[in-house]
Order: sequence, then structure tokens, then C-alpha cells
Amino acid sequence: MRDLFGCGRAMVMATAAVFAIGCGGGGGGEAGGGMEEEAAGEEMASPVDMATAGGINAMVMFEGMAPEMDAIDMASEPDCAARYTDTPMAEEVVVGDGGGLANVFVYVREGLDAGMSFPTPGGAVVMDQVGCRYVPRVVGVQAGQDLTFRNSDGLPHNINASPSENRGFNVSQPVNMDTNRSFPLAEVMVPVRCDVHGWMSAYVGVLDHPFHGVTDMEGGADLGMLPPGEYVVEAWHERYGTQTANVTVTTGETAMVSFSFSEAMAANAVVPMGEPIDPHGHAAHALASETH
Amino acid sequence: MDAHAHAHEMPWIRRYVFSTDHKIIAIQFLLMSLFFLVVGGLLAAMIRWQLGFPSEPMPGGMLLPDEMMAPTPAGAIMLPEFYNSLVTMHGTIMIFFAIMPLLVGVFGNLLIPLQIGADDMAFPRLNMASFWMAFPAGLLMLVSFAVEGGAAGAGWTSYAPLSASGEYTGVYLGQQLWLISLTILGFASLAGAVNYITTIINMRAPGMTWFRMPLATWALFITAILILLAIPILAGALIMLLFDQTIGTGFFLPASDGEPLLWQHLFWFFGHPEVYILILPAMGITSDVLANGARKPVFGYHAMVLAIVSIAFLSWIVWGHHMFQSGMNPMLGTTFMITTMVIAVPSAIKVFNWLGTIYKGNIHLHTPMLHALGFVSMFIIGGLSGVFMASTPVDVYIHDTYFIVAHIHYVLFGGSLFAIFAGVTFWYPKMFGRLMNEKWGRIHFWLTLILYNLVFWPMHSIGIQGHMRRIYDPTQYEFLQPLQPINQFITVCVFALVAVQAIYALNFIISIWKGKKAGNNPWHANSLEWTVPSPPPHGNFELVPIVYRGPYEYSAPDVEEDYWLQDTPPPSETAAPALEPQPVAD
Repeated sequence: MRDLFGCGRAMVMATAAVFAIGCGGGGGGEAGGGMEEEAAGEEMASPVDMATAGGINAMVMFEGMAPEMDAIDMASEPDCAARYTDTPMAEEVVVGDGGGLANVFVYVREGLDAGMSFPTPGGAVVMDQVGCRYVPRVVGVQAGQDLTFRNSDGLPHNINASPSENRGFNVSQPVNMDTNRSFPLAEVMVPVRCDVHGWMSAYVGVLDHPFHGVTDMEGGADLGMLPPGEYVVEAWHERYGTQTANVTVTTGETAMVSFSFSEAMAANAVVPMGEPIDPHGHAAHALASETH
Repeated sequence: MDAHAHAHEMPWIRRYVFSTDHKIIAIQFLLMSLFFLVVGGLLAAMIRWQLGFPSEPMPGGMLLPDEMMAPTPAGAIMLPEFYNSLVTMHGTIMIFFAIMPLLVGVFGNLLIPLQIGADDMAFPRLNMASFWMAFPAGLLMLVSFAVEGGAAGAGWTSYAPLSASGEYTGVYLGQQLWLISLTILGFASLAGAVNYITTIINMRAPGMTWFRMPLATWALFITAILILLAIPILAGALIMLLFDQTIGTGFFLPASDGEPLLWQHLFWFFGHPEVYILILPAMGITSDVLANGARKPVFGYHAMVLAIVSIAFLSWIVWGHHMFQSGMNPMLGTTFMITTMVIAVPSAIKVFNWLGTIYKGNIHLHTPMLHALGFVSMFIIGGLSGVFMASTPVDVYIHDTYFIVAHIHYVLFGGSLFAIFAGVTFWYPKMFGRLMNEKWGRIHFWLTLILYNLVFWPMHSIGIQGHMRRIYDPTQYEFLQPLQPINQFITVCVFALVAVQAIYALNFIISIWKGKKAGNNPWHANSLEWTVPSPPPHGNFELVPIVYRGPYEYSAPDVEEDYWLQDTPPPSETAAPALEPQPVAD
């Protein structure tokens, strides 16, 4: 007759034991920190021999009159609007005083030795949100590298990244805060937008090597030091599409590569998004083999 | 060898963990679902914190990971994605892992064999399998909080295409675990339903005719039929949605020529019978407890049975009232409006019969009776607001507002949960051999009733004023800012309401050891479970009981006491019974 009574007590005790075990599970929470340290210790050295390396500098100019950008209506976000003395303008095309085209992502598209692999940089690239705009608007990261989205506005933003090759995400930032994400696969470009503020957009170029840069107001970008060789360099702009150029890198020299964009290119531009990147030129090799 | 002795020979793990005894399985379901009730309540408290004090640091929030909370110098602030998960998981856990297993898993298992005079379920191993599918399904649902992207965030109704692609919510694995968990739970429910139906049809004791069955068992029988027919539809829809998520089908994705409205039709074709799965057993429990507390037969017993059957039938042709806003031929909308209003008729029959049952009764306001009366009064409020929403023009305005949140909680909390409190307290002796403490039971009831109304009644008001249902930060909308003091008031009351449940939890736990010993029939009730010891031994009945009358013969003029057990032979047969009780087959 007392079976069930005894059972009830036993079950309550068993349940309590399960909860106790569950509560004790939090003890392993420091594992993440340990792994980070380990990863830092195992970081590979760059395969580029600096004694024989040469550099690439890109210069991107805008030809003709820069188009007038639309004014951004920030009436829906008075806190942001109040931060501007002049009417904020869209930043799709930003041309410096000297005619340099800013926010162009320039990178080595083909030519790297197929056997080369590059360690993931330890530091994070930061894309900030200031005055309801992304700063910078275009960034380049290496696959797997931390990308920090920062909310310096202290008002609600969301970061909606829509890659094609990588997994997308849509995270919110209601207050001043950082959110870290990374993309494991090379992809040019990953569009990012804020759904709260329809005018906010940005782009992330993801490569599996470090040879890339984003042009400044003078139109210049430093792609870093590479092994000597023949390379195909591509310049990407969100409105004017892409251009490529062949570049030869020689030891101890900095090769200059120039691009020129104009408003006429906007009409027929195909702006690639989410294209897989083949810096080692596998596709070109395969094509050449088939031809032979 | 009798069944009792046989049970003692079994190892502990077979008796109490992988048990095939329906009473043990009932206790297992009880502990599982009470745990999930606590989890669901805590999720609700977090939701209310955000609504009452949006973007302010949540107490204890620093204990949660950065994926859920944004750490700031002042403390941790809830992230919108986590809020979406909280809303989704509160609804999911409360409906599928708390209320449903409490009503069907606990009372179905505990009461059906005892009330019909059977030694166990028809398929004891299937019964065990049912629990051991439900429990891991619940754990799987909880685990989804810890995976990348967090738990599902598309709402408990999981509308497509929001739920069909992780790109919209940022939730991938969490949504898939949600789908897998509910599919497994669906199989658990089906196993239980097959068992209940088979047991009731085949294993009733001699003399236990259909219309001598207690209304709790009647309600569980009809509920099991609803489960048997409704769950496969949900399971099918869940699997289709899982395929959309994982293998690239496009049943519900417009981009793949899929049809998001198909999900709504499938979900609500299951979902509205589900509403009655969540209320019919509560109605049955209430009927049993009210008759006992009023010391009167249930008024209109046959009408009560027919009302249960009518509600079950009508529940299949009202699902469109959830979709008045979703795009529907107006003629079809009108049809659904009419069928929905028709279902109020059998519901009203039950309410009037409950009132008839207690009218001029010799009312004993014991704790289960208080909870049963609480059920009736709150169900009336919830039912009436349901009639509001049945009217298409009204629903178009109040759809997806806090009015509907108030309605569902008046039905599921004020309705089902009060009946669960009534039922657990009433049949506690049949699980643990003792009674729960009356004084603390009454204190818990009154505090819960008052606080519950303070929480949910104002939601009608803010809903009418346009307060949206699923919203992270109401203060972002200028027209909602004047309602913020009400939101804060509701939040404070929710914290008090959650805290008050500790009284019930403590009463429940302490009474297992310290409660007053119950004896066979502490409530002086009539049905067969009260003829056996508390708790009943394995096999329940030493001899197969013979049933002579219905379960509600209270205050019958033919006997001295004001109750008359179903298996007590009538005075005319005491000397020479027409049927001899037979031993239970081993």
C-alpha cells in the first residue's frame, strides 16, 4: 500500500538530484577562454618570405563630376538626425577633393600559390554604427577573422547580413554594445543592412588571404606584401561594379595599380554579391588544362 | 501470485523509472510537467520584465550568456532575439510540456483505469514508452536554448515563412530542434491516446456502462480521440517544415513556390482541436470536483456528455477564426464566424449545468472546490472574450493585440490551470497517500485568483487600445507610451503571482511527508478510485469491482451518508448480490 508513497518520495529526490547535477554543469564555463589562448598559441606564421616580397598599392580615381547623393531623411530617428548640423547625405559614392573614389574594395583575385595558406589574424575588424551610418561602410576581413559590429549610437539597430556562401545572420543591438561574428568562407561581397533604418547599408569583403584594402578619400589602398609573381587584382564598387588589372610584383618593389570609375559605368554595372573567390586561380588552371 | 507481490519483485528501476504502472507513469508526468510549468513561469517573468521595464538591466541577467543579454556597465539588457525566443518557448513549453501533459498525461494515466475499474492500461509498455518519448522531447526543447542562434523565435504557432528559413530570424538549429521535439512529443501523445481509447472501450468493470462513467473519464476519452485525429496533422506539418529548413523543400516558402498560408491551415486545423484538448479534461475534472464539493449529482449528466462530444465535433470546423486576417474569402470567414459562435452553445450548456450543480448544494469549500469554482468563473470570462473574437469585424481590430493574450490566459490559466490545481489537490491522496495542507491550499488559491486577475484583466484594456501582442519594446511607439504604467503594474503582479506559486510547490512537496494521512476516501466521493487504498496497490483492485450506479449519487435518500460508492451494492442486493466479484487476473 505504501508503494506509491515511497515512489513519490524517490521521484522527488531523483528530480532534485537531476537539477543539482544540472546546476553543477556551469563549472565548465571557462573552457572558452582556454581555447582562445590555445588558438593564439597555435597561430601559424605568414608563409610570405618578407625578404623576397613586394607590395601592391592601388589608386582608384573617379572621372568626371561626382554624382550628387540623395539627402537621408532621418526624421524617423530624431536622435540620429540631431547629430548632424548639415543634412546627412547618402554615401553610395564618396569622392575626395583630389578625385579619389573612396569605399572601393581592392583585392588579389587570382595568382596566389595554390599551396599557400594564411593564418587568421587575431584582432577583430570593427564596423561601427555612428549617427545611424556604418563606419566604415566597406571593410575587408579574412575568413574566420572576428568582425565586430559596434553600436555607438545607443539606440536600436539590427545587423542583417545576407551572404550567399556563408550563413546569414540577423542580430539586434538595442543599446551601446559590440556583437562579434565571423564568416568562414571567402565571399565578395557580403551585404549588410539595418532593417530599423532603411538607409543604412554596408559591405564586407571576405577573403582567405590578407591581400586586400579599402580605398580612402584619396582613392588609395595598400594591399600588403606578397611573394613575387603575376596577380590579377580586382576593384569592387557598390555602384559601379568591378574592374580587374594584371599586376607583377617584384622583390623589394611596390607595384602600383590604377583603376578609374565614372558615372557612365553605373548604367551597365553588374555589382557582384556573394561570389565565391578563387585567389589561387584554380578555375583558370582548370580552364587552361581543358583547352590543352 | 498477486500483482502487488509481483511488483515488489521488480528491481527499483523497473518499478519507478521504467515503470509500466499507470499510477507511477502519472506521477512521472506530474513531476515532468510541474518542472516545465516552473520553467514556463520563469520565462513569462522575464518576458514581463522586458515589457514593464524595456531596455533596463534585468535582475540576474548577468548570469545569462551574451547571446541572450547585452552586458552594459549598469547590468545586462535583454536582446530582442532572446525576447522572441522567450515568447516562443513560453507558449510552447506551457502548452505542450506543462498544461497538455498535466491534463492528459497525469489525469489520463491516474484516473482512467481507477475510475473504470481496470487494473492498468490496455498497453502498459506503450504507456511507459509514451512518457519516455515525452521527457526527452522536453529536454530537447530546453537544450535548444544553448545552441548557436538560440531557441526558436518564430512564436509558438511557428508561422511560415518566418519559421521556414533561418535567414529571417537568425535561428537555425534552435528552430529545427523545436520541430523535432514537438514531433517526438506528438508520437508520445498518440501512444497515450491509443491506450486511453482502447482501455476505456475494452476494460470497463462489470456494470460500468458508458453513462455511469465519471465525467473526468468521459472528457479524457473524447480528448484522446481528438489527439488521435489532430496530432498526425501537426506531425505532418512539422515534418514538412523541417524539410523546408533542412533539405531544401519549399512547402511553405514563397521563394520556392511554396504557400505560407498552408502552414496556417495545417497548424490551426490541428490547433483548434488542441484548444479543446487543453480544456475538455479540465471541464471533466471540474465536474467531478464540483459535484463532490456541492454534495449534489452533476446537473444534466447526459447533457454534459453530449456537450463534450459536440464541442469535440465542432472543434474541427472552426480553425479559420484564427486566420480572419490572413486572407480568406469573406464568405468562408462568415462561415467560420458562425461555427465559432455555435461552439459557444455546448460550452454554455456546461457552464449552466455547473451552476445548476452547485445551486442549493451543501457547499463544502475545500481547496479543490475553490479551484473548481475559480475555473468556472474564469472560464466564463475567457469564453465571453472568445465570443468577441469570433465576430470577424471585431477580430480584425483586436487581432494580434493583448486582448487575445488576455483571452488565451483566461482560458488556459484561469481555465485549465485552476482545474489542474483542483485535480492535483483532489487526487493527491491517490498518488501520495496523504492530503495537501488545507490552510495553505486556500491561501494559495485566493492569492493566485486575485493576482491572476490583476495580471490578465488589464490586458483586455491595453489590447483594445491597440497594444500589439509580440512586441519587444512598447515604449518605441508613441501611442503605447501612455500605457506603460499599466505594463509596469502587470509586471509587478506577475512577479508576485510567480512567487505565490512557491506556496503551492512547498505544500505539494512537504505534504508528501507531512500531509495528513488520507485513508481510502477522504473527500467522501463515489467513483471507484475512492474504494481502494490511497495510494492504490499495483493492480488497483483486489477484486474486479461491480458497478451499480453512476458516480454522482451524492445526498441520495436511500443511504444514510451523503455519498454512495459506485460499487456498493444497493440494499436490495446486499443479501444476495446478482454478480459475485471476481479476482483480478494476474
